[in-house]
Amino acid sequence: METFIQSLVSGVLTGALYAMIAMGLTVVFGVMRIINMAHGEMVMLGMFGAWWAQKSWGLDPFVSILVWTPAMFALGLAIHRFLLRKIMPGGELNVLLYTAGLSLLIANLALLAFSGDYRTISLPYALRPMRPFGIAVPIPLAIAFGIALALTTALWAFLTRTDTGRAIRATAQNPESAALMGVNVPRIESLTFALGTALAGAAGVLLAPSLYLYPTVGEILSVKCFVIVVLGGLGSIPGAIVGGILLSVVESLGAVYVSVAWKDAIGFVLFLLVLLFRPGGIWGVARA
Amino acid sequence: MHPRFLSRLALILGLALSPALSPAQEPLKIGAPQPMTGPDAPFGDKFKKAYTMALDEINAKGGINGRKLEIVLEDHQAKNPLAATVAEKLITQGKVLVLTGGRASGQAMEIASVAQRLKTPYLVDHPSADAITSKGFDWVFRNNPTGSIYPEAWKKFVTDVPGAMPKSAAVVYDNSLFGKTIGNAVMTFLKSKGVTITNDEAYAVNSLDFKPVMTKVKGNNPDYLLMVAVSTTDAILMTRHAKEIGVTPRAFVGFGGGFGVEDFAKQLGPLAENVYSSAAWSGNPNDGATATFYQNFKAKFGISPHEHETEGYAAMYILADAFRRAKLTGNLEADRAAVREALLATDMTTVFGKTKFGNYAGPLGDNYVNQNVNSPEHVVLAQWRGGVLLNVWPKAMAETNFVFPEPPEKK
Repeated sequence: METFIQSLVSGVLTGALYAMIAMGLTVVFGVMRIINMAHGEMVMLGMFGAWWAQKSWGLDPFVSILVWTPAMFALGLAIHRFLLRKIMPGGELNVLLYTAGLSLLIANLALLAFSGDYRTISLPYALRPMRPFGIAVPIPLAIAFGIALALTTALWAFLTRTDTGRAIRATAQNPESAALMGVNVPRIESLTFALGTALAGAAGVLLAPSLYLYPTVGEILSVKCFVIVVLGGLGSIPGAIVGGILLSVVESLGAVYVSVAWKDAIGFVLFLLVLLFRPGGIWGVARA
Repeated sequence: MHPRFLSRLALILGLALSPALSPAQEPLKIGAPQPMTGPDAPFGDKFKKAYTMALDEINAKGGINGRKLEIVLEDHQAKNPLAATVAEKLITQGKVLVLTGGRASGQAMEIASVAQRLKTPYLVDHPSADAITSKGFDWVFRNNPTGSIYPEAWKKFVTDVPGAMPKSAAVVYDNSLFGKTIGNAVMTFLKSKGVTITNDEAYAVNSLDFKPVMTKVKGNNPDYLLMVAVSTTDAILMTRHAKEIGVTPRAFVGFGGGFGVEDFAKQLGPLAENVYSSAAWSGNPNDGATATFYQNFKAKFGISPHEHETEGYAAMYILADAFRRAKLTGNLEADRAAVREALLATDMTTVFGKTKFGNYAGPLGDNYVNQNVNSPEHVVLAQWRGGVLLNVWPKAMAETNFVFPEPPEKK
């Protein structure tokens, strides 16, 4: 029983971070109808940011989120303004290939700048986990979970309670109607892309102390992220949250009760099952 | 990019200048495919330091019969197919006399096949999968112990120390050639002693999360946790997650390179304390020549040498010894065959220990060809103590007393 609760807890904690990465991707897809293949690399940049902040400035990685979230937001704006905007009218396939190229470019620039070495962030205060009721809760993961929860709530409030947030959701539902209602669609797109990038960066910062980082770590994260987003339904934020936690819990339980070697395969089996029985994903909003 | 660029530059310059030099002055080239970029780059760098240090010493003493030795490094980025490509390139275009290096078993296996096919001697200095010297490749030689010999020191420890024999054990190993070899060797031993194997878990190399597997292990509460990792990040993360989840065996024992590198202690801090590493044979530290090498290396590079550096350094001396005895004519193919003959007759001592190549049966029944016959003595059990890895068993190589069993976790 303890084993079951432990794997459930580990799964939910990691799942919150999966969900946060996936939210960035899904928000961008919802509004712009583009699949950002470079999303994993944005997460990687956030991870390196956290590492850099600790190494060079002696800043706690979790505090550095205050620096990197706005920085990644600005990077997102710049990428949209100078790189993406021109290619957007070229069609979805072109944009897909374009972001795939962008992902290779960012990963290789990072290889050049940081070399291929792996790095880990160790936090002196987080060496021993908390053990409420004998269940191990790693401190870096617990802090990351808390911040992810706060950020998700903030994002939800922003999207439902502010005019800009409503404009984003309106654009996601129907860009033409939104434009007719006076929404500045290009501005919303740019804002959304920046928001997605900032979410990815923030997730990277939160992940860094629990994982290790190297310039091509984005590949693994991207694959997981696509699975989650499709699982939850493309473009749906609640879908990304549920999908992230579901995937992580299934992986965690699968590794314990089936086989560790099959951990990733189990995730994909779940993915295929959902696609088979609910092609639109759990919270699918896919448009015809 | 940098080292490869330099080696290419050296090659181009060498080709451009070669007509000006008489054949006797041409350097004797040793090719070494190593990971100079990518996740294993730190290991490539270790070997590079060791090779250059040894060759500088040999060349400073006049080289071999008036000819200098030269190492040509090629980057295989820790990718198996690339290792085969660069090995072939070194042999056909680089015109090297012998190959060495390789770093990991998967890549070494590729290099060994190429070396066998193109009839070029390959001295394995670190990769340890049994298959490399048990496929009957007669152009392949290995100085370091094989994977299935690696756990010998730990086996001696649990057999010799009263009460240390495990009552039960969890075995967690990666699904690489190296990981499976060692996992198999360990489990064969456990079964022969009638020890319950609570977990037999294989994981994919570079797993990002070991919490699930450690949760599963914790549920069985094993007496020993035996971990095999070819990758340093796996070794670090696996140990961290085992301790986070709260697995409490009498001993944490690691097999494989990752558990023996300084990063392990640096990244884990106090979590590395008392973890055993049953892999890192880096010569007997109580031996005078080996101790001197340690000091010189530390003085030159500022880092303490471990098995990789010692193996790389020793390999250069074994090759130099073979070159000295081989009758070299200037015909590359004949010279390679001559070096092979010379290697077959090797009988010497380096900082790594005694070297003599022979054919014999390994612990799992493999028939070794050209495997160092002294390998079964080249194993030691070490333990992390205050950020330093110290030999604890067998007694003759011990640097300190072992801590066993693992003291309970401090609150």
